[in-house]
Amino acid sequence: MKRYISLTILSVLCFVLQTTLLPYIQLAHVMPNLLLVLTAAAGFMYGRKAGMYTGVFCGILADFMYSRVIGIAIFIYALVGYINGMANKLYYKEDYMTPMLSIAVSDLLYNILYYGCHFLLRGRLNLGYYFSHIIIPEAIYTVIAGFFLYRFLRWLDDRISPREELILKKGPNDI
Amino acid sequence: MIEKGEKRMRKKTKIAIDPKYILMIIGIICILLILVSFRFQEKMTPVRSAVGSVITPMQKGINQIGVVLSDKMDYITTMKKLVKENTSLKKELAEISGENKLLQQDKYELENFRKLYDLDQQYEGYPKVAARVISSDNDNWYNTFIIDKGSEDGLAVNMNVMAGDGLVGLITEVNKSYSKVRSIIDDESNVAGTFLKTSDGCIVSGDLQLMNQGVIQITGISSSAKLQDGYEVVTSQISNKYLPGILIGYAKDFTTDSSNMTQSAYLTPAADFAGLDMVLVITKVKDSDDLEDIMK
Repeated sequence: MKRYISLTILSVLCFVLQTTLLPYIQLAHVMPNLLLVLTAAAGFMYGRKAGMYTGVFCGILADFMYSRVIGIAIFIYALVGYINGMANKLYYKEDYMTPMLSIAVSDLLYNILYYGCHFLLRGRLNLGYYFSHIIIPEAIYTVIAGFFLYRFLRWLDDRISPREELILKKGPNDI
Repeated sequence: MIEKGEKRMRKKTKIAIDPKYILMIIGIICILLILVSFRFQEKMTPVRSAVGSVITPMQKGINQIGVVLSDKMDYITTMKKLVKENTSLKKELAEISGENKLLQQDKYELENFRKLYDLDQQYEGYPKVAARVISSDNDNWYNTFIIDKGSEDGLAVNMNVMAGDGLVGLITEVNKSYSKVRSIIDDESNVAGTFLKTSDGCIVSGDLQLMNQGVIQITGISSSAKLQDGYEVVTSQISNKYLPGILIGYAKDFTTDSSNMTQSAYLTPAADFAGLDMVLVITKVKDSDDLEDIMK
């Protein structure tokens, strides 16, 4: 329960940061996607359900505030949360490579789906351009921002549920 | 190990539904939501307001911090630039003062044109309200932003938004204390424009791909139109949402389309979209009822 409350608060925080401060630190016309990092990290750290929950919540924020049609972002974020939740089996506390990789893949997936839903359907076919100017730069930037956010989430997780840690620590010994 | 992990997760959450099915349910709900929100766009506004009224006050607060921070950052980073700029500016000043005299002459001409088009009165006469941009889109694909004035301040959907001299966009959604603006450089934006000098009609559409180069697309110019780089494009009389005579930007690079019927060009917007902070909202909605009557 605590975890879900903290995820909710974090989503709101990330969303507010995303829409206000991040445009100021744009590089090459793109900004990192914190909501996606949060969703991916929630899925990766806590499993499919938590991932989907965060995804749906982030999607609601994004869709209700900025999108003309409600539902697309909710589904994409939920899907990202779910897929990262499947990678939960690989979760290991000290490991940073796997979550970064999963964030990168999630960001690519998110943007490709987003492109498909919003741009492809309107006949914008120049996928190569969008790939090289938005999708790839955003993925790189998101991974960099994601590293710090992920570290913060790990730290926060230790504070919120130290008991979890004991169970999780057992994990690797089971193998 | 995997089975154990699954079991442990189930025991912990005590809910037996497989997440797979939850995802499916979310998917179905989303598809329904997409259909509903697409069909009843107007009616969704109260629901959106509920989310917005919680989020926008936070955005407002944080945005102020952002503005202060970026001002400070700009201050430091631009110091060096300023020195360089200063020398080059001095050179420019000499050139420009010469040019200025020429422009003075052009100005008389322009005034004549304005009178001719009866723009002067309309343009200056529009009632305006200043608003601050408090947040922008949450991803890199679109160009919408939120301003801190809403229906309380007399704003309504379809009002035109300007910054400086140039058109910025259109209000697409109004809530009690904030409204959403879609800028003309947004990929989904289309504005009916007209060339001030020749009255040739055209369509100005935003394009994500061109936006990064600081231009947007103009299409549908009649191939017989004789145009030159630098001609002003203003909003057209026939647009049903934009008030006539607002400067959109300057056209350049005319090319004839493969059909030979039309020309296209690029447009440099008159408004500066990079540092958008304060905008002016024209609190007058174009009355397109007359237009619709004529169209019938």
